[in-house]
Amino acid sequence: MSTRGIKAIFFTRFHHEKGSRVLHQVPEGSITRSTAPAALRTPIVEVEAIAAYLNPTQQFCDRLLTFCTNHHRVIGYPVCIREGKYSRNEFMFNWALVVEESLADWAAYGEVVRKMGRLLRGLEEQGGFLSREEETRGVWEDESLSGGAYGGGGSKVYALCEMILEDLNNYAECMIPIDDSNTINLKLFPTRSPPPPIHAHHVPLLTISLTSLTAPISSDLTLTRIIPFINGVHSVSKIARLADTDLSLTRKAVQHLVYYGVVILLDIFSFGAIYAPTVEIGGFITDETVQEECARYIRVPRISLGRNIKIGSESERSSTSSDTSAHNRSPSTITATDFADYRTGSIEHVYRDVMTEEDGEKISHETLITLYTSLRQGLTLKNFVLENLTLLENIDIRRFITFGVIKGMLYRIHKYAITTSTFASIAPAPMSTTTTATATIAGNNNDNGIAGVGVGVVEGGKLRLNSIVSSTHDVGLPLMRFLDGMHSFDEICTELRMSEAEVDRKVKGVGDTWVVYR
Amino acid sequence: MTLPLPPASNLHAILLVTKSHSLGRRLVFHYPPLSPSAAALAAKKAPAWFGNETSTGSLDSHSDSSDWDSSTENDGIDDDVEVGSKTSAGRGSGRTSHRERDKHRPASGGWEKQDSIDEEDRGIDDSAIGNGYGKINGGRHLKGGEHDWSTVLGFQIDALEKMLCPHEAFNKRRFELGVESTVFVGAPMFVRSDGLWKKGRRKKEKRSPDQQLQAKDLLANLKSNDSDEDKTRGERSGSTSTEPFVYPQGFEPGYGHDMSIAPSLAVSEAGSDARTNSTTEVGRPDMEMFNVVFVLNPPALEYQLRVKEMYDNVTRKYAKALKYEQARFQYVWKESKKIIEMKQRARESGESLSTTWREIIGSSPLAKSIAILFDAISNDKIAHIHFDATFNTSFQIPQADSTPYLPNALEPQMPGLWLTTSNVAIEEDNDAVLTQHSALLLLEDAETLVKELEGDSKGNATALAFYIRNIVPTKSLQKISIKHNILAQDMEYIASHLVYWRRARLIPPLHPRDTYVVSPNADMSALEAAIPSYSSRFPTLPSLPKIVSMLSGTPRPYRTFIPTNEHRESYMEILAWLMRGGWVTQLRSFAWVRVTADIKAQVAAEMEREAHLKRTEEASRRDTSDSDSLTESLFSDKRSSFLAAGRPSTPMRRPPRRELDDEIMDASTILSPRTAYRGSPARPASDSGSTTSTRTTIPVPQSSGRTTSPSPAVPPQIKAPHRPSPLHLKTTSPSRNPLSPTHPLSPNLPSPPLSPQNFTASLVLSPQKANSLEARWLEKIGQTFKDQEVREHWPMLLRHLDGKHALEDVPSREGLKRKRVAAIVTGVREAGWLVVVRHW
Repeated sequence: MSTRGIKAIFFTRFHHEKGSRVLHQVPEGSITRSTAPAALRTPIVEVEAIAAYLNPTQQFCDRLLTFCTNHHRVIGYPVCIREGKYSRNEFMFNWALVVEESLADWAAYGEVVRKMGRLLRGLEEQGGFLSREEETRGVWEDESLSGGAYGGGGSKVYALCEMILEDLNNYAECMIPIDDSNTINLKLFPTRSPPPPIHAHHVPLLTISLTSLTAPISSDLTLTRIIPFINGVHSVSKIARLADTDLSLTRKAVQHLVYYGVVILLDIFSFGAIYAPTVEIGGFITDETVQEECARYIRVPRISLGRNIKIGSESERSSTSSDTSAHNRSPSTITATDFADYRTGSIEHVYRDVMTEEDGEKISHETLITLYTSLRQGLTLKNFVLENLTLLENIDIRRFITFGVIKGMLYRIHKYAITTSTFASIAPAPMSTTTTATATIAGNNNDNGIAGVGVGVVEGGKLRLNSIVSSTHDVGLPLMRFLDGMHSFDEICTELRMSEAEVDRKVKGVGDTWVVYR
Repeated sequence: MTLPLPPASNLHAILLVTKSHSLGRRLVFHYPPLSPSAAALAAKKAPAWFGNETSTGSLDSHSDSSDWDSSTENDGIDDDVEVGSKTSAGRGSGRTSHRERDKHRPASGGWEKQDSIDEEDRGIDDSAIGNGYGKINGGRHLKGGEHDWSTVLGFQIDALEKMLCPHEAFNKRRFELGVESTVFVGAPMFVRSDGLWKKGRRKKEKRSPDQQLQAKDLLANLKSNDSDEDKTRGERSGSTSTEPFVYPQGFEPGYGHDMSIAPSLAVSEAGSDARTNSTTEVGRPDMEMFNVVFVLNPPALEYQLRVKEMYDNVTRKYAKALKYEQARFQYVWKESKKIIEMKQRARESGESLSTTWREIIGSSPLAKSIAILFDAISNDKIAHIHFDATFNTSFQIPQADSTPYLPNALEPQMPGLWLTTSNVAIEEDNDAVLTQHSALLLLEDAETLVKELEGDSKGNATALAFYIRNIVPTKSLQKISIKHNILAQDMEYIASHLVYWRRARLIPPLHPRDTYVVSPNADMSALEAAIPSYSSRFPTLPSLPKIVSMLSGTPRPYRTFIPTNEHRESYMEILAWLMRGGWVTQLRSFAWVRVTADIKAQVAAEMEREAHLKRTEEASRRDTSDSDSLTESLFSDKRSSFLAAGRPSTPMRRPPRRELDDEIMDASTILSPRTAYRGSPARPASDSGSTTSTRTTIPVPQSSGRTTSPSPAVPPQIKAPHRPSPLHLKTTSPSRNPLSPTHPLSPNLPSPPLSPQNFTASLVLSPQKANSLEARWLEKIGQTFKDQEVREHWPMLLRHLDGKHALEDVPSREGLKRKRVAAIVTGVREAGWLVVVRHW
């Protein structure tokens, strides 16, 4: 939030005989000319031009009204209280603030004004907070005050304006007790953009450590359960299975994390994947601090390449199908992805211990540049590793890729299949008995999981039932709806819980299919 | 350079308000007839820009996030009821259905040009009928809210009238009134105090600059005669892609402009004179002010951008055009009176709104123009407005036609948008030259365009048709103009015009030797529709999926896909077709010079020799040694002992604040970070100078060199809407200090052991801005080339080796043969002097 965003706060009242008048303004002279010693020379807005909007007709009362004048934006919330005790049965006021016209996120201030408007209305309705003050101070009797010659001395409303201006400008929040039962709590909340939809094949990665926070971040059960599994390796679908949560709820929970900017979305890492540089690679090449950061992030200390990276080993994606029945993988299938496995939080510690023992050879910037620039379209990660085996020493290949994707200098080239027969008719593909069996088992073992998978396109509990029933029958058919070139293989594999090779085989079986890398 | 936002006008209604002596404030016309209530607009969610919507992705629980408290709409309605107005709570629901259509947004980035043209055609037909005045629509079908004559947008009309007639201080200024999240944007126009709408002809010399500007604009508008090609040159000022255009000499005869300007000007002057006379006779004019108000509900984060776009491109220009017409024929007021009268009649006879509106639009060109404007702009299209026989113009909110940034999963998606760096302006380049080297890719078939022109222009289309028919995407504009003997400026003018009006794009000329890949931003949802249109266009050639599949593998020059020479032309047509739809993009190469340790050692040795020579010279001149050389030797001692310790001199890190470029700073910065690094290797982040990483990485309890996540600098505060993710590196980021290219070793730093092991290879980031040491390295590299040709062109090539210029552009920019440049680049590359990366 920009500092000192509020240029002025003022309070106007509408009197049926005397018209509208600015009763309080902070700073003095900012709205109407003032003779006070510290007053601004010239008002920052032309109040005559906007008088109609400060105290509008009832139609526009109790709404947030903003208008621009003189390069400033006035945000007001005119209130009209209709009650018999007032003259003409109406009491109209407007508590407004002024910000720069170009201020991008003025909506946050709008919320403050809205809250203040309602609050003042409440205070007035409860005990005449505003009208009593006017009576005792005789605001309307004294004609000489028209220029706002009096300061705010003694006025509660003026004090409020002053305190809110200072507090919001300095701390972006304030708490002001009014009386025994009322307190003003205001805070400027920055507007955030709506989060994108989360797909089952997205891989969330936390950008801050939520576990290290002392207070729990949320009382949401799904969120609490999934957070330990968010590690930049597991897909949302796998997280849902590991945490035993409903897939759609998991997606929503991740979406919340995305909304607050604590999670970024990656793709599923696999050695069959293709990555290529984007335009932002130029920024990496020319920025040494990023290279430095990269070198730190991707280094594998004292662990030789041969033991840890199995070339061509199936990763997360295939494991989604392969370990449906058994969650714990045998130690022999350790892959690069296991480096940051959630269960191996301890392993991270081991690494760190190792690190302190050995200062590890630095990865030169030249190596990094060479490696990143040699990724290209049509080159699978597997082949990339084989081509650059010597350069990749001490480099965690998964982190190498992840770093590039996070910084935006690499993009994943997804694989899509287009079948021309989809558009005409849907021919059921031959199904394999083995998959059927697995799917059945999965359906029985993990009710939540399979339901979530089925939800992909259509929602509702009906489908959930259907998917369990139908999973035994037509595994080939659901594949067809993914073959329109809009669903990446990652998505297909996750939704159908098959390995890529299996999907590949099935896609070939469909016939008239073209594989597109994009 | 930011990630462009998908076009979204967020336009929901257009209102016309007038203030006159006889009738006071009047809301003359609003369109559409059945407007959604403001409360319904406020409740609307932000558009979903993210590819395939997922079932669980809906954000019902997120109404708090949109920052417009959803409860307010209810409050508003409750208050209405409380106040006792006739507005019922059900009104909102009854009306939103009408607006469903506007919610529907074209899935592809808005390339549907055809529709907008249809719009135009229809518009002209209708106006032809409408001018007959006798069109009576008898069809009466009643709908809910059809007889609600007293409210617009959920507000009582009289209240709205009061709000939308601003103080005179707003004359010709932006009028912006927000009611909750709905905003009313207008450009109020007031009559002058002398009762005229513009200054008379005799006073022309004394016009205020403001009015002069306006007059200029109007003249520009005038020049836009019927032909689609010649529309509103003045409006181009708002265009982002084109530079201020210099009117080409000899252009007017070529287009018959003189033909159109003269009569229309004459008419205008005559008209205004006549009117002037009449007003002076009558006294002061009836109408004091009119205000065209556009009702928008932009998302909070895009508020400023959307409102500005609408005001600058549509609201203000339309109001100016109306004012011009008002000055000539009392257009606005005459039409207003007519509309008010029609409304009054219909209201008394109890007709429904939509029937009445149809009648009004049929008989009033003003109402019709508002309707056309609304229909086009709210669908992000171009509105062609026909004011009268001599004055037509078009309005649009310009759209981005390309982006260099590929949006990630967290950013708004714009599938189908052309992904390229070729449109990114590089600061030091001259854009005019660049346009000449680009080719023009027509987004419609040349014949369609020509037909369009012939349809609505009178005679001068033949010349234009000639130009358009000769435009091919495989030849640069320069080549085309030379070949067909067309003036370069004319060519450029047509090009910029076609580009601005979304009929064409500037691209690097398509060439079979270049490489094209499937764009990661291709809009696959459009594939299903594209397949049949492709196959009808290229029936005998491989199908679209096959071609796309072919181009998505390992990148190869396009010619390798062409089976025989006979196929060449048709394959190039396919390529143009694919480019047009944003299916493919050119893979371009960017390179930097890599300076090896060898070169550095050689240069250092040379410099050492020179310095030595100089020193001895000096020494011979004056024998006394001063304190300067003492310190120098002191440092050199330190340095040599340091190097003697056997560590390679790899000064990889430069602390960020290195302004002082003197010797002492150099020496110390090279020494200190490394010793610190050696001393505590576990905490490099703290001294790396990258403050972001220390702050934002996961606060691991024990400090570790292995950070858990690569500092995705999460902004602690609000980030500006939709610029490229702050996580990303930016190539065009100004934050990078261009004046600090790598020079790990200061030139005058004495370093006794000058063997290559003491140096590491590094890149010269910008040869154009190389410092003296880098220049020497580059020169030295130049000397290593055996090939005379390469050596000769090395300085030329260096200009393009900064990672910003594509190597593919070298031949056209330098006027060399493609093959020759390719040979030179290959020679340099094979010698290992280049770091090359390929992207779009």
